[in-house]
Amino acid sequence: MSDASKPNPAGSGDVPPVKKADESAAQKAAGAPQPAPVSAPAVPAAPAEPKPKVPFSPVLLKHIHEPGSHTLAHYAARGGYETARSHVGVTPPGDLIKLVDDSGLRGRGGAGFPTGKKWSFLAKGTGKPIYLAINGDESEPGTFKDRYLLEKDPHQLVEGAILTCYAIGSKHAFIYLRGEFILGFQRLHAAVEEAKAKGYVGKKIFGTGSRGDASPEVDLTITVVRGAGAYICGEETGMLSSIEGGRGYPKIKPPFPAVSGLFGCPTIVNNVETISAVTHIVKHGVAWHKQWGTEKSPGFKIFCLSGAVRKPGVYEVPLGITMREMIDTYGGGMKDGRKLKAVIPGGLSAPVLTAEMVDKATLDYESLASLGSMLGSGGITVLDEQVDMISTIYNTMRFYHHESCGQCTPCREGTGWLEKVSHRFHHNQGHQGDIELLGDIAKNMRGRTICVLADAAAMPMQGFLQHFRKDFEAKVKETAFVEKQRTYRDEITPTAKTITATGAGPSALDVGSNGSKG
Amino acid sequence: MSTQSTVARRTEFSPERMAKFHEYAEEYPNKRSALMMVLRLAEEEFGSITDEAMEIVAGLCNVAVSHVQGMVTFYTHFKRPFHGKHRFMVCATLMCALENNTDAALDQIKAKLGIKPGQRTHDGLFSCEKVECLADCDQPPVVQCDNEHFCSMKGAVLDQYLDKLLKEEGKSAAEYAAKAPVAMDTRVPTLPAHYNFQGGTEKGARHFDDKDPYFKAGEGDLHTQVPGPLATPLTVPVADGVNGKGTVSNGRSGHDSAGGAFNGNGANGKNGAKHV
Repeated sequence: MSDASKPNPAGSGDVPPVKKADESAAQKAAGAPQPAPVSAPAVPAAPAEPKPKVPFSPVLLKHIHEPGSHTLAHYAARGGYETARSHVGVTPPGDLIKLVDDSGLRGRGGAGFPTGKKWSFLAKGTGKPIYLAINGDESEPGTFKDRYLLEKDPHQLVEGAILTCYAIGSKHAFIYLRGEFILGFQRLHAAVEEAKAKGYVGKKIFGTGSRGDASPEVDLTITVVRGAGAYICGEETGMLSSIEGGRGYPKIKPPFPAVSGLFGCPTIVNNVETISAVTHIVKHGVAWHKQWGTEKSPGFKIFCLSGAVRKPGVYEVPLGITMREMIDTYGGGMKDGRKLKAVIPGGLSAPVLTAEMVDKATLDYESLASLGSMLGSGGITVLDEQVDMISTIYNTMRFYHHESCGQCTPCREGTGWLEKVSHRFHHNQGHQGDIELLGDIAKNMRGRTICVLADAAAMPMQGFLQHFRKDFEAKVKETAFVEKQRTYRDEITPTAKTITATGAGPSALDVGSNGSKG
Repeated sequence: MSTQSTVARRTEFSPERMAKFHEYAEEYPNKRSALMMVLRLAEEEFGSITDEAMEIVAGLCNVAVSHVQGMVTFYTHFKRPFHGKHRFMVCATLMCALENNTDAALDQIKAKLGIKPGQRTHDGLFSCEKVECLADCDQPPVVQCDNEHFCSMKGAVLDQYLDKLLKEEGKSAAEYAAKAPVAMDTRVPTLPAHYNFQGGTEKGARHFDDKDPYFKAGEGDLHTQVPGPLATPLTVPVADGVNGKGTVSNGRSGHDSAGGAFNGNGANGKNGAKHV
């Protein structure tokens, strides 16, 4: 139950650490125009020219295995809060927004929306306060990256929040964590208190307004909110409803949160990982961030590996590496030498990839989109040949039915239907028409609801129907076999009685037979 | 229950939690928005969110009791009176369910405590339920109990933990094997008796149709159970230490046992003795 028992340290020895010399070389390399993906010629969207490979060592997860990494003392010793100190009150906020925009950082929560662009959509001059809401309600099954960031390096997030609030002109940040993050909540709460005591959070942070450099006063409050176990609160407007003290019901968009969000005020919603990355991008600059990744997905991202691999865990890698590299090199290959059957690439809601597609896939937003799936939150689940796809989809549908908030009929009813019908398959009761029924329900759920939970439930179902239809058809055959046996049994029972003539009395098999009374 | 109407009703938490509430009230833009955190305070104070707790929260946050009740029934992580004192939450989502990890953990709990998911022991000390993803998918199965988080919770580790809890309560596995468990009835009317609320048959939206032949009664999850007759509300023994116990995380977390130094929540660790 301790760190040592973690089967794999994130970013374990497979990647050489970045040295100073490498970094300068990397800066030069990044200056080259239009970097292209590292590898994967099979990706249709990839430009032909390969980009020189820059060594990468974990950034966000660099210190998580050091004891006491969650304390301010540890964070300050590695240069913590220096970036915020040097920028807050000094750099014009517009420059910071431009810097993040130029860096090409994309939201790490699932949708992959460019962060700088989101910040620039913020409604200005409304006279209302501006809020920052940081989404730590990481509930997509298969994703557990935020847990590490919150438990092991909360100050990194707090510093990112300070910089972001300064950039967007917010005086109040909310960090919403899911209720299940017990240690994460305690650590983050303690981190905010520590930062408050040091004057990094609160009134006139970093001594602005009184340090003799004509900097304006900057105030900031950071509030940590603990949720209580609702997947829907991971949806941005659902989270805002929850912070406002209501059920986590998503709100209709537009108006987008950047115009009317928390308490009807302009609000920026970002993921924990995104805000943590902001700290490093502001510190090291645009070129540094762009030396990794692909043209459209620059930078690095944390991936969460689970399922049938030898070393499951969190791995921070540059975007654009191949899925095979992730599974074989980082994950240590398949567990017990089993054969790979399928991969769910971006949390449970991402459509499944077959073994052939896995060979083509690279880990960036565009490649997975071109394969009909998505990068999502970066939760990669590897399914081996022993896994029954029907029970997998039943389990998935049960999850979404349980978590549907119930506002919109297509989702509330649709997820229930999907669960029931896949339950039928699971228990050998599915018929041929049910396969079409599943596809029909899934199709009619998409794009008809306030939030994307209905899509998130329908997408995996459509993926499974498309790629593993054979498994469903096999189940239909099984059902037919079972039913035929039942009919046969019902028919022969009286005959069998007369033949044996043992006087065994009415057979128990007669009871409840379908429609053969009299 | 009938005794409730005779006892003078409280309108506030204990002083140190009231101080915490005033902190929240100052920090949040309005009192309603502090609800999530105030409900956590109520959970700490009463061991679970009882009718009385809901009323107090409604009064403090300036909302209707029905709104608070709506919140409590929407969010599944809040502890309710029908849960056991030690509430086992076993993750049943795909990543944990692969390779039968969830079932292994549930079987072990069944062997020691005699309870299946959706049930609690006859004395109300332990309850068990399947929950959805607890976000630690690399180390299945994940279990939460008593505000603590455990991963890779099977085999000897889980058995040791169960034995520890049994010993703390002075109970034995044999007792629970002999006495039949009770189904957790989520339909316990939660509005207080003096509201003259005669309902109590509100049928949870998540119950399946009783006539659906594919669902058997008592098969497992809370939401697939066919509801039976309404049970009498449970009285959980609150006297010794439920209050303090629920909140203290003594560093025994799945990830880190070195982090016991946390004391950010102020009231942690000293609650037990104050309000009984």
